[in-house]
Parts: sequence; C-alpha cells; structure tokens
Amino acid sequence: MSEFSILVKNISVSYDDNLRVLEYVNFDVRNGEFIAIVGKSGAGKTTLLNTLAGFIKFKGEINVEGNIGFCFQNHSLFYWMTVAENIGFGLKKNGSEKRVIINDVLKKIGLLDLANKYPKELSGGQMQRVALGRAIAYNPNVLLLDEPFSSLDIYTRDQMMDWVLKLISEMNITVVMVTHYLDEALVLADRIFVLKEKKILREIKVPFAKPRSQAIRFTEQFQKSKQELSSLINQQ
Amino acid sequence: MPKQIKNIKRITYSGLSIGILILLWQGLSYFGIIDYNLIPPPTKVFSAIVEWAKNGELFQDFFTSIWRALIGLIIGSIIGILIGFLTGRSEKMNLILTPVLNVLKAFPPVAMLPIFITLFGIGDFSKIFSIAFATIFPLWVNTHIGSSTIPVEFIRSARLMSKSELNIFFKVIIPASMNSIIAGFRISIAISFIMLYVSELAGASSGLGYQISSSQLAYRTDMMLGALIVLGLTASMVDFIFNRLIKYVFPWVQLNKVM
Repeated sequence: MSEFSILVKNISVSYDDNLRVLEYVNFDVRNGEFIAIVGKSGAGKTTLLNTLAGFIKFKGEINVEGNIGFCFQNHSLFYWMTVAENIGFGLKKNGSEKRVIINDVLKKIGLLDLANKYPKELSGGQMQRVALGRAIAYNPNVLLLDEPFSSLDIYTRDQMMDWVLKLISEMNITVVMVTHYLDEALVLADRIFVLKEKKILREIKVPFAKPRSQAIRFTEQFQKSKQELSSLINQQ
Repeated sequence: MPKQIKNIKRITYSGLSIGILILLWQGLSYFGIIDYNLIPPPTKVFSAIVEWAKNGELFQDFFTSIWRALIGLIIGSIIGILIGFLTGRSEKMNLILTPVLNVLKAFPPVAMLPIFITLFGIGDFSKIFSIAFATIFPLWVNTHIGSSTIPVEFIRSARLMSKSELNIFFKVIIPASMNSIIAGFRISIAISFIMLYVSELAGASSGLGYQISSSQLAYRTDMMLGALIVLGLTASMVDFIFNRLIKYVFPWVQLNKVM
C-alpha cells in the first residue's frame, strides 16, 4: 500500500467550455491524514470534493487508494429506509454478519436505540450522525465530507465536532472535509488548503498536536491561526 | 394527537359531511324545491338499491365491474410505470418514446373504445383494454417525473456504496419515485372507474355502468342514481384500500406528509 491515500496532479474542471471552476490543482494526502478545504462561496470547494469522488468529469490525474465514503451537506439519507437499513446499504455481507456490522456502527454513532426509526423521525444532528455512520460502515479508506455540520445549530455543531474527533482517533481513516467554519478546520484537520481563484492558494499545517479537544479554541495560538486563515481567504 | 382520537375525528367529519348532504337532498325533495320525478329523494334511491340487492343483480354487477376495472387498472399501471422508468431514467428512451406517447396521450380514451371493440370484440377484453389505455398515461407521466427528479445525491451516494445497478434501481430509484407513482395511481383509480362506465355503455349485459345506462333508458332515475352511488362508493373503496395498503407496505410515505 502506498504512503498516500490521495494523489492529485494537475486537475482542471469546467462546467462548460467557458466556465472553468478548477485550474491545475495539485496536492497529496497521506494515509490517515485529515485535510480541511476552506474558501469563499464559489471558490470550487465542493467541486473539488465531487471530483475526488468521481462524480464529475475532469482533466488531469487523480489516484484514490481504496473505497470512498461520502457525507453530503444535507445528509441525503434514504428516507424510505430505517436508520439500520441506511447504514447497511453499502455492506456486501448478509444475515448475521451484516447485523453485527450495523450494530457496531450504531454503537459508534451512539444511536443503537434508534435503529428502526426513519430519518424523518430524527433530529438534524442525529441524521448527520447516521449519514456519517453510513459513510464509514463499509470501511472506506477515504472519507469525503461536504460541509457536514453546516445545517446544524452552533451547539449541535460543537457536539458533532467532539464526536468526530473521537471517531477519527479510533479509526485510521483519511478525511477530506470542505467547510466554511474556520474553527472546524482548525480543530479537526492536520492540514488546511485555502482554495481561491480556482487554485489552492496556500496550504497550512495546523500547529496543534493530536489528540485534540475543543479547548484549543480558547488558546492564543488558535486565534492567531484563525486570523491568518481569515485574512488569506479575504485578501484581494 | 393520539391515533384513536384522530381516527374518531376523521370518521365524525366524514359522517357529518355525508349526513348533511343526504339531509339537504331529502329536504329539497320533501319541500318540492327539486322535482321528485327528476331527482328522487335518498329514501327512494335507497329502496331501489335494496330491491337491486334482493334480486341478486347488485352483487353480480358489482363483481363484474370491479373485476374489469381492476384488471384494466393493473395492466395500465404496469405498462405506465415501466414506460415511466424508461423515459425518466434513460435519455435515449426519453427521446425515442416521449414524442409518440405525447401524441397517444392526447387521444381521448373514449374515442379509442371502438378501436378496441374492433380488435378484441364486444366482450370483456375491449372494456379491460380501454380502461388500461386510459390509466397508462397518468402513471407514465408521474413515474417519469418521479424517477427523473430524484436528488442527484441519492444516486451519487448509492453508486459509491453499491456497484450493482439492479440493486440501485430496486432499492433507491423505485422507492425515491414512489410518492409520485402513488399520486399517479390514485388518479388512475378514478380514471379507471370513469372508463368503466363508458366501456359498459357499449355491448355490456351486466356491470354498474350497464345498470346506470339501462335504468336511464327505462326512466328508473331512482335505480340510476342508486347505481351511480354504488359506482362512486366502489371507486372510493378501492382508493381507501389502496391507501391502507400503502400505509402498511410503505410506512415512510406517511412520514413525508405535511398534513
């Protein structure tokens, strides 16, 4: 197995001949690394994530090692399936083996007692947890998260961040997350890519050791890093 | 609100609206506001239904009609749903089939009846196929819309998790189109009973539609209204059973309702 989970070489994406969204983007992601992609609306963050997942056509070269798990901004749970059925959808196993995996994931996401509920019967935070559970159930090597907490209120978002920190420390999984929230990027990621004008403008190594807690948000270093990121995104 | 109270409320409101309508009708007839001979009162219509039931013809007409309507509806639905998925999920099939279907859709099903009689004779087949023809299009249009407007995220996440297109079709595309298909099916239930009446006007010797037309020709307006009411109640009963079945088979449909 290679040292890198994702290798991206010179990728360009155009929605039609005139509208180029990404231009010659290059980066690599090591196994088990957490990357956050930040930038203004329309910078091409979601397009980059969709390109990595193979959803849209591109020019250039992308190598993703192993399976991909994807968690959409609006959770996109199958509303006709129960929580357990949603989680089990991507599993190739059958019968008791499948049930064991589903129960394991349900325990991980802390929703074992809601296994037979439908998505419409859950809160926003619970739905997003099921979406993450579904994305990790079939043990993907790479997890792509598209603003997974953006539809949640600030309190639920903080809880979800704690939960993701715990989950990721338990799993050796490579994560690429698109986010608007710099706090989220700094708390969760190892490196942050600032996307601007169709390219990765800057790559920043997050200066906090892992495992982390949200307490780092109240340190001077955190505020300084956040300020730096903010000015990079907003500079003309 | 607890389920039992909700059910009592629903039954009370339905019973009240029907009761008021019958009382109003009886009152208008009693006070001579509407002509007794042109529109007989509910009591007379009810007596005609009892008379019809006593001689055994009511049940024979009921079963003959419901058989024709349901077989026609099932054939039409299967064809409509299959074509709907083809045009809704395949760009090529949409380009090939939609122009032809749009022309056929504009054909009045009533005008197709003589063609079906020529093709299948005057028996049950022409009636069943005319009902099937009329019910194809609401199901085609609704299945097409439902299956072509599935949120792209559903398909994308399904394709990441499953490599089998058959698995995706049965577990994602069909259920994601289901709300639209159910709406189409309910429209088709009503259309199938309209077409049932029309088809039984030509060459039938039994059935609810036949009873309506033969009573009209015999100036038995009480019997005609009675048969009309039985036809309406039968269509409502089919719709009611279908709704119950949907709640049982697809419990999540209920959760998506706004009201």
